[in-house]
Amino acid sequence: MHFGHILVALDGSPACAAALGHACWLARQGDSTLTGLFVIDTGWADFIGNDWQSSSNARQGFLDHIGREQDAQAQAARSQFAEAAAGLGDARFELAAGDPVRVLLARLNDPGTDLCIFARRTFQVSGRPSLKSAARALARHATRPLLLLP
Amino acid sequence: MTDIDFFKRLPRALPGLALIVLTMVVIRNWVEPWMTDAVVLGQKGWLIKVTHLNYILLGIIAGLLYRNLLFRGRIPALLEDGFKLSRLLIKTGIILLGSLYTVQAIVQLGAMAVLLIGGFVILSLVLVLWLGRVFGLDRSMTAVLANALSICGVSAAVATAPAVEAKASHVAYAIATILGFGILTMFISPFIGHALGLTDLQYGAWVGTGILNSGQVLAAALAFNPQVTPGSAVSVAEIWNIMRVISIPFAVFAVTLWYWSGKTEESGERKGLGTLLVEKFPVFVIGFLVMVLLTSLGAFGDVGIKGGPAASDTIKMLRLWMTWIFGFGLVGLGAYIDFKELAQAGGAPLKVGLLVGVTKYVLALAVVLLIRDYLVAI
Repeated sequence: MHFGHILVALDGSPACAAALGHACWLARQGDSTLTGLFVIDTGWADFIGNDWQSSSNARQGFLDHIGREQDAQAQAARSQFAEAAAGLGDARFELAAGDPVRVLLARLNDPGTDLCIFARRTFQVSGRPSLKSAARALARHATRPLLLLP
Repeated sequence: MTDIDFFKRLPRALPGLALIVLTMVVIRNWVEPWMTDAVVLGQKGWLIKVTHLNYILLGIIAGLLYRNLLFRGRIPALLEDGFKLSRLLIKTGIILLGSLYTVQAIVQLGAMAVLLIGGFVILSLVLVLWLGRVFGLDRSMTAVLANALSICGVSAAVATAPAVEAKASHVAYAIATILGFGILTMFISPFIGHALGLTDLQYGAWVGTGILNSGQVLAAALAFNPQVTPGSAVSVAEIWNIMRVISIPFAVFAVTLWYWSGKTEESGERKGLGTLLVEKFPVFVIGFLVMVLLTSLGAFGDVGIKGGPAASDTIKMLRLWMTWIFGFGLVGLGAYIDFKELAQAGGAPLKVGLLVGVTKYVLALAVVLLIRDYLVAI
């Protein structure tokens, strides 16, 4: 089976290394386009109930702190992708922002995506608790081919 | 990261706020009166007497149902800003609550509150730091849990996180643990309070000490007695709660010192107590204190303290507003609770959280019962 465009979710941690390795292998086999996607989770402000009456900097200070952590993860994901996809003809790394499950669902259900590869523990490094069930949500709502890895 | 641009977001908040207002109007004008009059098991008002549900708890339940059942875990974009904004109303209401007190009453009640709250904050901190070591928790995770369980839930957890290099997952676990525990206490406390025949003073002191989160303290107090008057459960609980909230910068400083004392490498950002006071001091407490001052100066007329002149019309109007503002805010609080997020809490942080949370909750009740003769009414 040939997949013209493969999408793999990345978070810069070892959790998605196998998924990335598999995606690269498939892309090499089929001469496919490969996209590595990192999603900055923007749900933290709502999760912590951010508001301006708490203090001048308590909650916003935390959001900046988490922002820095996510930036570092994004950078790690970029490096992870660059290293694994070296030598591939058509490979690109993309950064998106939003609810990771929603963003990924929109991308994987896009007719331009032929296969999405997702490792179960991806997005758990700097994501909110509900992202632990991201794989289940993706499996339930996917309308295009999805490969879930442990 | 996203900041809150209050005035730009206000028009977008209208649909969500309209739904919240409508919900509370329906609850207060139709649901609560129906529950009061309904005959169940041959007894009029059984639903209220047995369940202790009032418009406050009904509002929270409505919010919970909106988010977790009707909207399946995510508030629709059209309503999202209104629901977020409604949570601000809780703190706005607490600012207005300042009109229940005079400086003299604050000093009377506050002295006991400082002792109790101070004791419980220190006890909880020590207990979490010890249990963190026993359960082998990461040092950052322990630090975040210590302040979250000792002071004021979410506010304390997020205020501590940057100072102790906590990871997002540490804060997520701490928040899920304290909110889960808080929801439970918010619903069972009124039952226990009524079963033990606690007075408003005792009950307010208990929940103000034993419940972890500001919004949940407020909800538990109003669920016990929805009256917003001097001496009512909410007036006592909030003084206790505010004393605890004020200690956030000090506790962040103490826990940060503990955290860095165990580190060998010099890295990260360390802040002094002065900086922490400016950055972490809760803004709504300043509003509350200004309101107390204005009330003491007679800006709103007589407060209506027992044995004194009746409350002025302005004060009466403020109190009526507060009941509605709290009602709206608590629908928003209910809609903030996502069971999917809470269900992910687990492991050692949950065990530590439950151990400390239950200890504090039970111990606070025991202490309040022991010192009931020394509690000062306002």
